[in-house]
Amino acid sequence: MRTPYLLITIAVLACGSYFLGRSRAFAVAKGCGGVKGLHSLPGHYGMWTALWCAVPALLVFAIWNAAESPIITALVVAGLPAEISSLPPSKLGLIMNDIRNIISGNITSGDPSPAIIKAAEHYRALQMISVDAMSAVILSIMVAAGLTIRTRISPTLKARNKVEKLVQLLLFLSSAIAILITVGIVLSVLFESIRFFKVIPLSDFLFGLSWSPQTAIRSDQVGSSGAFGAVPVFAGTAMIALIAMLVAVPIGLMSAIYLSEYAGSRFRTIAKPLLEILAGIPTVVYGFFAALTVAPFIRDTGGLFGLSVSSESALAAGLVMGIMIIPFVSSLSDDVIHAVPQTMRDGSLALGATKYETISHVIVPAALPGIVGGILLAVSRAIGETMIVVMAAGLSANLTANPLKAVTTVTVQIVTLLVGDQEFDSPKTLAAFALGLLLFVFTLVLNIIALYVVRKYREQYE
Amino acid sequence: MKKSILLASALFAGMFAGSSAQAAGRDYISIVGSSTVYPFSTVVAEQFGKTTNFKTPKIESTGTGGGFKLFCGGVGVEYPDISNASRAIKKSEFDTCQANGVKDIVEVKIGYDGIVFANSKKSAPLKLTRKDIFLALAKNVPDPKGGDKLVPNPYKTWKDIDPALPNEKIEVLGPPPTSGTRDAFVELTMETGATTFPFIHDMEKKDKNLFKATTQTIREDGAYIEAGENDNLIVQKLEANPHAVGIFGFSFLDQNADMIQGSIIENESPTFDNIASGKYPVSRPLFFYVKKAHVDVIPGIKEYLGEFTSEKAWGSEGYLADKGMIPMDKKERDLFAKQAKELKTLTMK
Amino acid sequence: MDQPEKNPTIDKVNRGLKRRYRAERRFRILGATAILTALCFLFLLFFSIVSSGYKAFEKTFIQIEVFFDPAEFTNENLAAANFPGLIKASMNSMFPEVTSRKDKKDLYYLISPGASFQLMKQVKNNPALIGQKELIWVAANDDVDMLLKGNIDRTRPESERRISDKQLGWLDTLAHDGKIKKTFNTAFFTSGDSREPELAGIWGATCGSFYTLLITLSLSFPIGVAAAVYLEEFAPKNRWTDIIEVNINNLAAVPSIVYGLLGLAVFINFFGMPRSTPLVGGLVLTLMTLPIIIIASRASLKSVPPSIREAALGIGASKMQMVAHHVLPLALPGMLTGTIIGMAHALGETAPLLMVGMVAFIVDIPHGFTDPATVLPVQIYLWADSPERAFVAKTSAAIMVLLAFLFLMNAAAVLLRKRFEIKW
Repeated sequence: MRTPYLLITIAVLACGSYFLGRSRAFAVAKGCGGVKGLHSLPGHYGMWTALWCAVPALLVFAIWNAAESPIITALVVAGLPAEISSLPPSKLGLIMNDIRNIISGNITSGDPSPAIIKAAEHYRALQMISVDAMSAVILSIMVAAGLTIRTRISPTLKARNKVEKLVQLLLFLSSAIAILITVGIVLSVLFESIRFFKVIPLSDFLFGLSWSPQTAIRSDQVGSSGAFGAVPVFAGTAMIALIAMLVAVPIGLMSAIYLSEYAGSRFRTIAKPLLEILAGIPTVVYGFFAALTVAPFIRDTGGLFGLSVSSESALAAGLVMGIMIIPFVSSLSDDVIHAVPQTMRDGSLALGATKYETISHVIVPAALPGIVGGILLAVSRAIGETMIVVMAAGLSANLTANPLKAVTTVTVQIVTLLVGDQEFDSPKTLAAFALGLLLFVFTLVLNIIALYVVRKYREQYE
Repeated sequence: MKKSILLASALFAGMFAGSSAQAAGRDYISIVGSSTVYPFSTVVAEQFGKTTNFKTPKIESTGTGGGFKLFCGGVGVEYPDISNASRAIKKSEFDTCQANGVKDIVEVKIGYDGIVFANSKKSAPLKLTRKDIFLALAKNVPDPKGGDKLVPNPYKTWKDIDPALPNEKIEVLGPPPTSGTRDAFVELTMETGATTFPFIHDMEKKDKNLFKATTQTIREDGAYIEAGENDNLIVQKLEANPHAVGIFGFSFLDQNADMIQGSIIENESPTFDNIASGKYPVSRPLFFYVKKAHVDVIPGIKEYLGEFTSEKAWGSEGYLADKGMIPMDKKERDLFAKQAKELKTLTMK
Repeated sequence: MDQPEKNPTIDKVNRGLKRRYRAERRFRILGATAILTALCFLFLLFFSIVSSGYKAFEKTFIQIEVFFDPAEFTNENLAAANFPGLIKASMNSMFPEVTSRKDKKDLYYLISPGASFQLMKQVKNNPALIGQKELIWVAANDDVDMLLKGNIDRTRPESERRISDKQLGWLDTLAHDGKIKKTFNTAFFTSGDSREPELAGIWGATCGSFYTLLITLSLSFPIGVAAAVYLEEFAPKNRWTDIIEVNINNLAAVPSIVYGLLGLAVFINFFGMPRSTPLVGGLVLTLMTLPIIIIASRASLKSVPPSIREAALGIGASKMQMVAHHVLPLALPGMLTGTIIGMAHALGETAPLLMVGMVAFIVDIPHGFTDPATVLPVQIYLWADSPERAFVAKTSAAIMVLLAFLFLMNAAAVLLRKRFEIKW
């Protein structure tokens, strides 16, 4: 049986066992005074049966699939002539690739030797056996499990508690993934960062005021300045994110309030998804928009007032980034404002407050945790955004508080350092990892502060 | 919700199934590397895919360094077969390759990429010498008041450097220090330009480090703007800002001749013929590297090499020249075609 | 109530009323302005995209008369026949006055290099063509296409355009004879990437995006919602949950390329999944969108009033039933919003895919999760970086396709959200 059919069969059997368990529960219930005599709802018994049927089957399926390929490969290799099977593993892998190409009917390199063709047939035969065996094992497990559980259904079986415990376990595992991701991220930048800090002292990196990784690309060159001070890069990130928030928070929050409190439902249905489109426009588009429309406009306007504006100003990048993250603020805030109970509005209005007063004194404070969540997401997106800044603000790391000057951000530096033409083990490339790590720590501190601030000012209703 | 969780776990299992079911094998060539070589190798790959029975190779644009990192990872289907590079392989990269079992590497030089200086057609074309470029862009330059000493670059406008040049602010958009284009540009123009000063020329023999640092460091006071590697964007920024000058690959000048004009360097304008004949002084070689262990196992590598090194591809009238690559001369082409055919392996001391 | 005007409180209220109404009006106008500003930006972006991209939906064809010379088809293998030669011969017969080698090269330049593959396909489908003379519409070169669409100014001096005066003359002759036409560019929607702008299509990238996002959606939505439900409803409130909360908020700020590094390390190097495939791309984007979905879902769970929970528990529901039957349906609109935004982010993202090898030139259309593929934003990025001018319009057209994709995705989610939204 082929894999997709097998999966469908598993699903069908699991559904079937649900009904099997449920009907069994009804049958058992007859013996003890109807459904109310059961410990749990009949559906819970069905679910319990279905879980017992499906989970072991899926586990076997996953393990079998993971183990199949190495085992078959080992068997095929053992069957190959000695002069081939004694090759180093990497070469062997290439030969196995040839064999697999033959099996799937792909084009091969040159004419395969008879030994290879024989091996391919061997491989194919083994694969067939494996799939058949797996189908048989899984189906018998499912049938056996279904029937056993069915006999164990009794009015006192605590099916609900068991099912719920399992579901809760699944929920817990899902949230544990977030932790795993964090660990993974830290690990994937940590080792390279340590290598970087062996070359560049940590204090130089953290407190250095100049960033110019002009070290050599080729070995016969000598590193020119090559300063790795992260301060200007982080200052640039902060400035651009700040400008973006100055655009996005007022527009986004006011839009959300208007949408949920003033606008008619038809306008809201249309306008909200339209705004959400702003978050989905590829950042390359925003980048071009910022670099070719907004930046020259700001430069020319600045020129009128006698200001010297760089053509790669932080302002242009920040403004456009602000537009991009409007929906993070508007949509998420709109949802939470919408979810504030109507009774609270009614209460406030009944006391004679105007709509504005209701919103500013009752609704926004009630929705504050959600709004702050949306704003935090927006800030995060602004810090993590790359393309707009690459195109509009450039790579010059100036330490300045003037938004009309060019600055650079952490993400831009990471991307350019990683995809450049320089050698991958040079401090230049490793600096990308160190920047990533530092950014991680930096945002972590920001988030901790935000958590405490929200805790302090949050008002709990009901 | 329970159903959705069931569904999710089923899908998860399905993912595992899909991920381990690698039995299909790889039947296409995998190429990684420089974004400068990318536009040329893709043309060859497409031609190769359409005219043969082999699949079209997959070409990733990862940057030269990232390409070598992947390429030198080892021998096996999961590693790329060919790495494109806009510079020659470095000793340390070669050593990594050797250490990971990639013993035999074939180097193929494919042609040149012209590096041009250009500005918008709305302004007058610039006529520069390499010395002018050095003086305009270096971090430290010889004291304009005379004497053999270096001072931080005082020049603000082109006119300050040479009265014949326009009275415009120096504003140059160019690649970042991570780019091979920048590297080649620095070496070919600034270094040569700097040696016109006798004391810097002497420095080369006395203190090589100081010489390199002097000639290769670009100023960081805003006159040189690191603009990322998107050359199209530089072209459009030049169009929007007629006072700026950009540094990028020849093929972009070739395609946008109605908007921008190449600056004349050492009395030669950056035209195809001038670069090909070597009269225009700024161009750099492009390469690709082939893993010999893969040649007879991954289908089509030999044929791809054949296509790339054929006259109709890299010849002076070939389709790569149409795309803006500057071909090598006939003798060099024959030499590298022969090496590619024999799969002559690269050795490094 | 009989003499309200004498009540001092009412007086006070009445005096302030005008000011308060003014504030109210101001506030309302401010809200309307904010939303109009945002929409203006949206339409400005749309306008700039559409105005530069709509031309890519048209394609120029040139009619040539091809003689499928049987002498060329002696070989069994059709692909070995000299199809470019056939096209050259037919061009020669149309313009017999062109004799010099350079002029001939310029003349052949008018036809796309893809034309010979078109002929090959036709002969393969219909071998009876051999020996026949046939009028065939073939694609024109990208520069010709640009010229006829007005993107190349023919009044410019010859050295500044990519079409020479002679070529202009030939094109005018062809146009005069009715041998040039512009039709809808179907190839753009059916073919994969190409380095020739007139042959390049978006279908490969669209399929890649579809497979990638399918994986992302089917993993990130259930896992994200489950994680949010656990953290918000089941987890004990203590230091650990605080750490997890901060941690998830922090993950949302990790630059996307770092997720690419993680994906490279975990999925490709550790699990050995194949590079450049929608499978790996989808998993990386799942990691990237999960925090967004979790945060949005938690925010919307938080906004469900406690009374709902208490009522459900009060009539004897278990905690799980309370969540599944009452809290979750009420929180679903907010969760869907988070999912829309997260998926929109995933749909437009390029940087993490660079690390897992999806920023690549891939001509063949992917047919599954483990075929090498690229995605729409990567295609846009690669085209925006190409030297050929004709790719500018293609880039905008590809953005339009991506937006259409986004519209479809959003429409589905909005319909769902509408169904679940309750105001109480």
